[in-house]
Order: sequence, then structure tokens, then C-alpha cells
Amino acid sequence: MKQPCPVCTGPLDPSGLSRREFLNRFGMGVGGMALSHLLGGTAAAEEDIHATGLPHFAPKAKRVIYLFQSGGPSQLDLFDYKPLLNKLNGEELPDSVRQGQRLTGMSAHQASLPMAGSIFKFAQHGQSGAWMSDLLPHTARIADELCIVKSLYTEAINHDPAITFLQTGSQLSGRPCFGSWMNYGLGSDNENLPAFVVMLTKNKGGQPLYARLWGSGFLPSEFQGVQFRPGKDAVLYLSNPDGVDRESRRMLLNRLEELHRHQMDVSQDASLNARILQYEMAFRMQASVPEVTDLSDEPDSVFEMYGPDSRDPGTYAANCLMARRLAERGVKFIQLYHRDWDHHGGLPGGIRSECGQTDQASAALVADLKQRGMLDDTLVIWGGEFGRTNYSQGQLTATDYGRDHHPRCFTVWMAGGGVNAGTSYGATDDFGYNVAENGVHVHDFHATLLHLMGIDHERLTYKFQGRRYRLTDVHGKLVPGLMA
Amino acid sequence: MRHRFHGYLLISALTALPWHSVQAEPLGFNRDVQPILSDKCFACHGPDSASRKAGLRLDQPEAAMAAGVLSPGNPADSEVVHRIRTDDSGDRMPPPESNLALSAEEADILEQWIAEGAVYEPHWSFIPLKSVSVPVGLTPKDGNPIDAFVLAELSESGFAPAPEADRETLIRRLSLDLRGLPPTLEEIDAFLADTEPGAYLRVVDAFLADPSCAEHLAAGWLDVARYADTFGYQNDVESDLWPWRDWLIRAFDANMPYDEFITEQLAGDLLENPTQDQRLATAFNRLHRQTNEGGSINEEFRVAYVGDRTETFATAFLGLTLGCARCHDHKFDPISQREYYSLTAFFDDIDESGLYSHFTHTAPSPSMLLYDDGQERQHEILQWRIGKREGKVAEAAADAETRFAAFISEGSPIPEAQPANAWSFETMTDGKTPDSADEKADVSSVLGAGLTDGPHGKALALTGDDGAACRQAGDVERSDAFSLALWLKTPAQVPHLVVAHRTVAETDAASRGWELLLEDGKPTFGLNHFWPGNALRVQTKEPIPAETWVHVAATYDGSSTAAGVRIFVNGEAADTVVLRDHLFKTIKYEGGGGAQLLIGHRFRDVGFKGGMVDEFRFYHESLSAIDVRSLATGGDAAALWANASDAERREHYLFHADNAYAEARASLAEARTEESAFAETVRHIMVMRDMDAPREAYVLTRGQYDQRAETVEPGTPDAILPFGDSLPRNRLGLAEWLLDPQNPLTARVAVNRYWQQLFGRGLVETQEDFGLQGRPPSHPELLDFLAKRFMDSGWDVKGLLRFIVASATYRQDSDCEPALREHDPQNVLLARGPSYRLSAEQIRDQALAASGLLVPKIGGPSVKPYQPPGLWKEASQVVYNPDSGEGLYRRSMYTFIKRTVPPPAMLTFDAPNREVCTVRRERTTTPLQALVLLNDPQYVEAARVLAEKSFDATQGDEQALIERVFRLLTGRHPDARQREILAAAYDEHEQWYAAAPEAASAYLDNGEAPRVSEAPAPELAAAAAVAQAIMNFDAFQVKP
Repeated sequence: MKQPCPVCTGPLDPSGLSRREFLNRFGMGVGGMALSHLLGGTAAAEEDIHATGLPHFAPKAKRVIYLFQSGGPSQLDLFDYKPLLNKLNGEELPDSVRQGQRLTGMSAHQASLPMAGSIFKFAQHGQSGAWMSDLLPHTARIADELCIVKSLYTEAINHDPAITFLQTGSQLSGRPCFGSWMNYGLGSDNENLPAFVVMLTKNKGGQPLYARLWGSGFLPSEFQGVQFRPGKDAVLYLSNPDGVDRESRRMLLNRLEELHRHQMDVSQDASLNARILQYEMAFRMQASVPEVTDLSDEPDSVFEMYGPDSRDPGTYAANCLMARRLAERGVKFIQLYHRDWDHHGGLPGGIRSECGQTDQASAALVADLKQRGMLDDTLVIWGGEFGRTNYSQGQLTATDYGRDHHPRCFTVWMAGGGVNAGTSYGATDDFGYNVAENGVHVHDFHATLLHLMGIDHERLTYKFQGRRYRLTDVHGKLVPGLMA
Repeated sequence: MRHRFHGYLLISALTALPWHSVQAEPLGFNRDVQPILSDKCFACHGPDSASRKAGLRLDQPEAAMAAGVLSPGNPADSEVVHRIRTDDSGDRMPPPESNLALSAEEADILEQWIAEGAVYEPHWSFIPLKSVSVPVGLTPKDGNPIDAFVLAELSESGFAPAPEADRETLIRRLSLDLRGLPPTLEEIDAFLADTEPGAYLRVVDAFLADPSCAEHLAAGWLDVARYADTFGYQNDVESDLWPWRDWLIRAFDANMPYDEFITEQLAGDLLENPTQDQRLATAFNRLHRQTNEGGSINEEFRVAYVGDRTETFATAFLGLTLGCARCHDHKFDPISQREYYSLTAFFDDIDESGLYSHFTHTAPSPSMLLYDDGQERQHEILQWRIGKREGKVAEAAADAETRFAAFISEGSPIPEAQPANAWSFETMTDGKTPDSADEKADVSSVLGAGLTDGPHGKALALTGDDGAACRQAGDVERSDAFSLALWLKTPAQVPHLVVAHRTVAETDAASRGWELLLEDGKPTFGLNHFWPGNALRVQTKEPIPAETWVHVAATYDGSSTAAGVRIFVNGEAADTVVLRDHLFKTIKYEGGGGAQLLIGHRFRDVGFKGGMVDEFRFYHESLSAIDVRSLATGGDAAALWANASDAERREHYLFHADNAYAEARASLAEARTEESAFAETVRHIMVMRDMDAPREAYVLTRGQYDQRAETVEPGTPDAILPFGDSLPRNRLGLAEWLLDPQNPLTARVAVNRYWQQLFGRGLVETQEDFGLQGRPPSHPELLDFLAKRFMDSGWDVKGLLRFIVASATYRQDSDCEPALREHDPQNVLLARGPSYRLSAEQIRDQALAASGLLVPKIGGPSVKPYQPPGLWKEASQVVYNPDSGEGLYRRSMYTFIKRTVPPPAMLTFDAPNREVCTVRRERTTTPLQALVLLNDPQYVEAARVLAEKSFDATQGDEQALIERVFRLLTGRHPDARQREILAAAYDEHEQWYAAAPEAASAYLDNGEAPRVSEAPAPELAAAAAVAQAIMNFDAFQVKP
């Protein structure tokens, strides 16, 4: 004789938590760790999920907006001012500077490696006196909010390995990305929206992107980034099919819930609670996502601030504005990807175009967060996967040049939650080729970012194939100079 | 009571189950102790010598005892116990900075183990299989042994097995497990009605014999094989590997024994006289990702591919996390870094490039022609004809003796070869230099290459980045005879210089075309389809001097063989070596591809920096030695004739003056052209093919491709099974090693995978890790029994499946008391039937099958079903064009997988992205899955087509309709309450749609499939809503 199921009339899930407790405790993002626990997913089988007990200490930042500039923006034409290169323009890169550093197959066989000074004008900005070129008039205005890291370096020299390394801490495939680690570690602050949202600038050329960059790797797939897209379905499959509206969908879901409740009575299987919850959350998302992606409630002044593109969904500017809205609603990790910074040739024209699309909105986002009092606990990061060479790839002329990939040094900036604003950290040599002081390895950068989020990078681990993995592998040290 | 719960279940068992006690009985080392030692101690005191602390290793008993840290039987005297018990953080083990800690239970177990004598046992999975006796007394004598093993464990747990599930459940479970598809209503009804004994096994046998079973089993292997339709990495071009998937289906359909299945995939090419299918099977080793990102370093990626092949081998067949030993000795398992690289040595002897071609679309080498029916015979005939006509040419030569004598005695004028192109570089006007042989040829200076003084007037001076180019010149196929000649002066004998070629690029086009290089100063001439494995290359033995004008010529006879190439230096045939001789595909580009004849440089390659070139000639024929000498010496033919050898004269005569010989050659050329054109019509696919000389393999320090340490021979990890002396040290030997009855892992890993496929969880939960950090088996004797039986059965895969599904264990009801579910949520005890959410493929295929939309075609190229528009485009420059018709409704295993943008709905249901070998999928539950089932056109369409068809089949009878739709989607009859709920759903939707006829119509227009029923739209829409409700019901999504 089967016993009546005790959970049917009791709390919503067999762990004995009320729904409120349940949501509070697990942070019911789109992933929702608790769901897979309820259904006996494989995540539950890993007994030593170390994500409990997080954050490890009080976080400086509660959320991250990562403005990823894919392709590798030229630090030498934006932030890392090197007058010596202008002086030596056209001269061969000295071996003493190159030091045998490997080059990509694209310029390795070039007959000469002529150094190329930037044709853009540099000036110092803000009280901090940060150097920036005239490509970044808007970013220049928020100079004092920025911590500009000029000495970041990486290990990979081609896009795929480099971007994979920067996003996952490893050049090998199959590792979780930064956002997934955060999602796994910190959960969500909004039960109706994903904890980790990804947006791509539309209509771009340049190096392709890959879903694994926001994939969860060996972490359960519920921790992967959810892509928000312009148009009807901001989230894939969000809209009801033709002929179904919200009312009829509710009607159907009510009956579906009845089916599930009845099934629970019959089978005594409490995991059906999760099934019910799954559909309720989907239904709520159908309302909450359009609410956040509908920009019609933004005043004109906001659009003016982010620039005219911001009225055109899917542009970088519109995505920046969307990022702010998502941040306001508690999304923990918001990642933008903007492609086409890979300027092997025709760099001046190319970089002008990319800056034209991104400069104003990037700066507006920081300023907007600040005016809303959110910058203090929002960490904004701007940067690509590597830098570019100080020598020209292809022909160097008075007005044109290209730059190849350069892993030895590149520039990123951070703003907001806990960062050492109004500073430039680290330096490259006068040739802009090697790190001269305070080099920051990608692992160090990751360790520091996690620290700002209240996570000890050595203690956020996940056991996979018998080994405890970390975002920083077995490396990474905090960079105090980046933190306030 | 023995405790057999592990992992997190152990924790809940310890706290929740009063009947459990750790100290109650002696510990088993493998079961209880090893997991703790491995997880908490071995990182610093294990197999990895580099990270070992205090010189102490605890993984080997001798070493641990010798170190004096264990006092068997005397925990109080044991340093280990002191260290794990102390409060002194300086002494405490594991140390706080390791972020590891022992739980109280774990410390108790270690102490108890020492008290019991600190007895080590070899790791369970490394012990060869022995016969296991079936527990007696618990099951009937003729019962299935599986049940005896399961009951033996279960009897100690206090839980009883569940009764057999009802027949509707059983046939649905069987059908989904064996075919990946739901049973049809006819199949269900037949089974329900079959009261004869053996009904169940009749269903099993029918399902196993169904071709859809082969598809389903193949689908399961696609994850392991990391099969995808694109190369992965950023550009992610299509890789055309689906014929391998067809092989896989054929293999399962024939119930190929697992030993052959392994052998053919690993080493089918090395079998004696391998069949086309056996060679095709080896594509398994080429399914890894590959890059073509410009500027990538060839060796870096080649090493990555070899690593992937090796690690996939280890995960798939051995259940080992071999990758951990890539950069250092394995931290937990007895596998050294050296052994890792020894294993890679089996997989690195193929003639491959680290990059596939950006500018051409072809199978990266090594590759094979994959004949369709009749094509092989056709090709053989063409090749036979070439051989025949080569004979005719030889005959013509022999027959020509009298004519040759007459030619000489008549003192006929000595003919000369006429160049098709002749560039003398005397003038350069507006970047153009004339072609004195072809006025129409447009020869341009590239990037301002200029003129200098040469051996004959002016010459072309090169910087490495510039050159001379002509699109019309040198456009030849591998079946064409051609020659080129030029004067050149090289500044130095450097490793690699590009002199002249007609290719678009080096790595970016796999050097397709022909090329003349200087390698270490040695003239090197070759023709390539895909360098290095589909190419021929010949090189002089001696370098030419630097800083001196040298005349170099290369002649080629159109034979696609290295024997057809001659290289001349200063007019004399040079001694040469053959570097490659395996060219069997075109050297031309699709649609021209922007190829041109180029002197002096090549895209992203080392140009002829500081070099000079003069008097370039191109001929559409193979020159004679006298022709070349004439070019090199400037001497007139008559004078050279006088001084030439008899053989040279004869050759010159035949090449230029004998009509019969010319005819024979023309006829041979025609046959060669035909063969070469035919080869392009044959499918072409990557496979394994070892080079004649094995590549040297090295230990790579820290796994870095360019940090070569000592060399290694092909070999296997000793701790598993030493590699037999009698085995060939190649992949075939490796397959034999794998299948050696003494190999402790192969059969266990295979059996466990099939168990996992049927129960959702392996007897060893960690299918990917049978090493020390993996979970010990829940039923070790059962695992070994099955493994032994599997081997003894001749590795009979379907036999294994049949044996397992025949067990009462498999046939149990999956409903159970909450107490059992709570104590054993993972069903480790097997006290109930296996029930869990279906795979991404099963869910979609089920919707297609139930609606009748499924197109049951087997095999063929991948298809592109519905996908939200723009997904590919926004991440790359490629557009996804969904199929129309059939391609929308094929089984999901045929859905095109682009690795960088995998099919989103599949990914949402936990399908992997196929970047790496995956042997276990997660099963998550997320709201995104609900959105897919509710809104993806694939499901909406399936629901409405199902509704329409069911409506017509039941003449609109509401109850009958509900019954039918429910059964089609869940395989069972609805109960009264379910009928009631669904009837209410139907009624309210009918009302709703009656009030909104446009909505009804719009709803029924979802999907490409035409409307089926002519019934009133509101009723059909209501029926479709009911179908959608059931398609989102748990019973649709889970195996019962």
C-alpha cells in the first residue's frame, strides 16, 4: 500500500523550505541550482559543491558588466601613449625589444617589422591625468572613474585560444566561463531573470564568436549565460506561438499544473514540484524579460546620453543601456560582446569606426550607473583578448598601418565597485612592446575580479573528473593596486 | 550492515539511516579508504613526483610503510593519525592552505583502517576481471543473475525491490531505451493483448532488430566520439564527416561485436587489406576540433589534435582522465607524464597539418576517397586504362627506334620546346612586364618589385614581400605535364624560401597548387592538394650556392607521382629525394579561387627576400634534358645535340619529333585527365593513415608544444597493463592491448556505459573516471560479472542490452515510497525502475514520432530543422538556412551541429556542444526548457499536426481524441482525473478560440506542414492546445 504523499500539502519542496525560503536560499535565476537538486540532476551528485558559504567575504561589487571588445583593440592607439614610436616610425623593431617573442603566422614572415607610431593625438584627462587618444572623447570624460590597467598580459596569440583563455582561464575547451563561475558561486538576485546575460552587438563583421564563451563548460548547463537578442524573442523561444496569447497560455499552464499536482498525488514524487515551478518561472520570464528589454520608458535624456544608436535595439549602445536596466533588476553578470577590433590592416579607419560605435555608450553606462548610485557596487570592465603590435603588419604609410596580435601587453579598464578609480596601473616599455612594471597576468586579473565580488579565487572550486577546478587553475594572485 | 553508499549519499545515509554504522564491520580499502586518501592526500602525497611534499607518498604501500607514518594496528602510534587529528594548524593534514579538510567520518575511517592493519589493495578497476559467482538463494535458479546481485545488496539496505511495472510502462521504457522513440499505439496494444509467455522478450527482440535501434545506439556514441558537422574553433567551417556517422549506424545495425567496433575505429586502416568501411571507421580519430584561424602556429594545433585523440581514446575506452598527465604526472592515478606522451605516440604518425585550409574546402589530410556504389570499379577502370596507355607510350618509344635512326641519318633540324610563358624582366612599365610568349598574359609587379642587373639583361629583384604575378599563367592540373625554368640568385641557404608557385597561400590554402621552394638552399618542387598528406614533393640532395646565379628547372609528366618529377640545376639533372608521394586530388581551386602564378612571395609565407629571378619560362609539357640544358647554357639545340648522350637525344626526339609517340602520350594524357576529373566527383573524407616513417614523439615539458624533452616510444601505462612485446607498436597493437582479456578497464567501461544508457546512472557513476578519484562501483560484483560475460559473449552489444533489460531489476516499477526516494534519490540501490528525463534527442524525436511527422530515413548528410533566425549570423558571417520539408522532420541525431553555435533547443536540454569527448550528460531542469516545449515551432507544429490527425481519426469525439493524443504522447491511457483535466482544457480552449477565430487559424498555421484536417478551427485549436499541454506534461518528458 502506498502511503499518502506528505509533501503535497506541506512545504513546496522536500527539503522542507517554504517557497520564499527556497528562492532566497538558492537565488532562483533561470538556472536555479535548486531545481536540479530537486530533480536529482547530476549537479546534486557532486557532493562537494564549494559554492555554498559564498560570498567568502563582504563583496565590493554585487554585479559585473563586462564590455568585451572582441578582436583585440589597439592599446597603442587608445590608451598606451608611446611618443617614442612616433619618433622611430618606420624603423625596424629592434631584436633587443622583441626578445625572440613568437609572432603569428600572419606577420612572422614579413620581410620587415617597421615600428608604427599612432597617428592619433593623445592627451591627459581628468584629475588623474590619464592618457587617452582623441578616439575616445567620451571615455576621456570619465577618466577619473577608471582604473586603467596597462600591463595586462596573456599567453595566447590567436583569437580563439586568447578569448577562450580570457573568458575561462584556460586555452583548453570545456571549462566554464567567468560568468558561469559567478552564477555558480553567487546565484541570482532576481528570480524572474537569468543571473547571467549575454548580448552581442548586431550586424558586425570580424572574428566570429562562439557560444562556449558564455557556456558553462563542465558546470551544469543551468549556469550558462542566457543570450538576450534584439527583436521579438529577447530570449530564445520566449514568445508565445502565433495564436496563443498570455491569457490562453495561462489557461493552458493552469491545466498543466493540475496534471502535475494530480501526478504528484499518484506517484508520490515530490520532484514534480520542480516541474511546476519550472513552468511558473517560464511564464514569469515571459513577462519580466519584455519588461526589461522594452526601452520605451526611458526618457530622451537617457538616449541622448548613450547616443543615437541606443534607440536601435541590438547596437552596442542599446546593449549598454540594456545592461544598466538588467543591473538595476539584479542580474549578476552581464556580458556584452562587440566584434571587429581585429585591425591587421587599415587600422586607423577600422578603429575609428569601432570607437564611434562604442566610446559614447561605454562612458554613458559608467556615468549613468554613477548618477543612479549604482556604480559603487557595479563592476564595469572594458577590454579585449590581447593587444596589438607596435610594428605594422603590412605596409606602413603616413596615414595607414595595421597591427598584428600582441599578447605581451594590453590595456583594459575597470570602473565601479571597489576598483582603484582615477589610476593607471602598470606600465609598458617605451616601445609599448613589453611590460615594464607591475605586469598583470590574466589569472591575476581574474583573481582580483573575483575578490571584488567577495570570492576567494582559491576557494571557488568545482570537482570534475576527480579534480577540483578553479577559474584561476593553480595560479593567480590578487593585485592590490587595482582595488580601492 | 555493510555500508555501500558513497558520495553525497553516504553523508545523508550517515545522518539519516539508523541502521548504518561505520565501525560495524571491517573496511574495504577500495570502497572506503582509497577515495579519502586519493581525494584528500594524493595531491601532495600521490603519484606526481613534482608536487610531492616531504618526499612522502601514500599511494604505494611500500613507500608509505617505509616512511614510517603508518603503524598498522596501532593508530595511536601513527603519524598520519596524529596529523589528521591535531589542532595545531602547522601540523594539521590536509593543511588549511590546501582548502581541503577531512570530515569527522573520514578521519574515523582512516583511523579505523590503520587499526585494522592499514591493508592496501590495488585500485579496483586496475585488477583484471575474474569470474564472479552469482549470489544464490535470493532469486530463482533460472532467474537473471543481475537480480541476484542487486538483491544481495538490497537485502542489506532494508528496502525491498519494487514490483514489475505495468505493460504500458514497460513497452514505453523499452522503446525509448532501445530505439529512442516511443512505441506506436499498435505496438502497445499488441503487447497489452499478448498473453502468451515470452511476450516481453518478443518486444525486446523486435526493438533490438529495428533499424531505429541502430540509430539510437549510434546517437549514444556520437557524444563519445565528439561528432559534429563543423571543425569548431572560431571559423567553424563544415567538416563533411557524416559518412562516418553512417558507418556507425551500419555497425550497430549489424550488431558489430565491440572488439571489432573498437579495432575498426582505432585502427581499421592497419588491418590486412582493409575494406573501405574499415578505413572510414578511423575517422573516429579525426572528429576532434580543428582550426584554420589565420596566423595560428601549425605545431601548436597539431599537438593539440594529437592530445585530443589520445585523451578521447582514454576517456572513451579506458574511463581514464588521462589529460591530467599532459603537463605533469597524474596527481591521483598511476600514470606518468612520460606514459601520457608514450600513448600520444600512437596517434601522431599521420601526415596532418595543424590548420585546415581557409581558401579551399576539402578534407584535411590524411584522407580517403569514399566511393559510392559502382564508383570504385569505375575508378579502377580509369586507373587501369592509365596503366594500359603508359604501356602504349613505352611501346611507342620502343617502336620509334627506326624512325629515330632515320631522324638522325636525315640530319633533320633539331626541334625545340616552345614556352607558354616567357618573362625576361627587361622592362617594367607601370608595374607591368611583358610576356614574350603570350601577349595576352598580364604580368604585374606586386607591391613594386623592381628590376636589377641579371645574367641576361635585367632581372627581377625581390624583397620577400613583393613579386611578379600572372593570373593566366601556370594554371595546370595534376594530370597535366608541365615544366618551369628560371635563373635565380639566393642570398643565403635558409630553411625556407618561396621562389615561384601557383598557390593562394601556404597553411591557409594547404599549399594547393604547385610550388618551387628553396629549403635549406635545396630546390624543392611539389604539387599539392592538401599539404602535407595529399601531395608530392621532390627535393635535390644538394643545396645550390648562395649569392650566385643558378639555373633551376623542374619538369613533371602529369603522372601524379614523384617519379614523374625531375629537377635540373644549371642544365643537369640533379640527384633528388622524394619527400612526399601521395597525391590523389586536384591541385586547382574551385572557380579559380584567385590563384595566380607568383614569383617571389606568398601570402603569410617566407618570400624570396633578397633574391633575384630572371628568364622565367613555363611550358605545358615535360621538357627534355636537352631543352633544359639549352635554357641553362643558352647554347643552340644543334650544338647541344651533338654533345648529348644517346639517351638524351632519343628522349628529345621522342618528346618533339615522333608522331606515334606524341599520339600515345596524348592518349595517356587524356586518360589521366579523365581520372583526375573523376576523382573530384568522389566523396572525400578525413581518416587515419600512418606515414611511412613514424614521427618522433616527445615528452613536452608542461604540455607546451615547443618544449620538447626526451623522445618516447609508443606505449601504454604500465599500471593498467604492460604493452605486450609481441604487439605491433601501432594503433592496431593498441587495439589488441585494449582487448586483451587482462586489460582491466575496457569491458568494465563499456558495460558501464550501456548500464548508464539504460538506468541513467552507471554502476560506476563517474563513467568518465574509473581512476582513484572516480566513484567506486555501487555493485562491484555485478559490474565485473557483466563485464566478464560481455567479453565471453564475444563482445555482443545487443546481447548485453537484451540481458540487462530482461532483468527484473530493469522491469521494476519506478514509482516508490517517498522514504526510498528520499534516501536514495539517485536510485543507487536499484530498488525501483529507472525513470528520468529523456535526452534532448528523445524528446524531440518523440514529438515528431507521435505527430507522424517523423521522416524515418536512415543516414545521409545532416539536416537543418527550425532554429530561431539570426543565431549563426550574429556570431559569425554565416547564415543558417533551415531546410524545407523532409529536413525539418528527421531524427535529431541528424541535426546539423555547428560547434560554435550548437542547435539551441538541444543545448537547452543538456546536449553537449561536441567540442570534446563526453561520456555522461547532465540532466538539468530550467525554465528555458519549458519555453522550448511551449514555443519552439517544432513542438507547436507537432502538437497541432498531432491534434489534427487525431481529431480526424476520432471524428472529433472529445474523449476519444483526448485518449488518443494522451496515449500517443505518453504511451498510456489517461486516468479519470487526467481525462477530466484535459477535457476542461479542451472546452475552455474551444470557447476561447471560438471567440478568437483569427487566433485559432494562426495557431493552426504554425510550422511548415500543411493543414491536415478540415474540421472547424476552434476545435482543432483546442485539440492542439490539449496536445501542447500533454507535451509539456512530465510524463512526456520522462522515461517512465
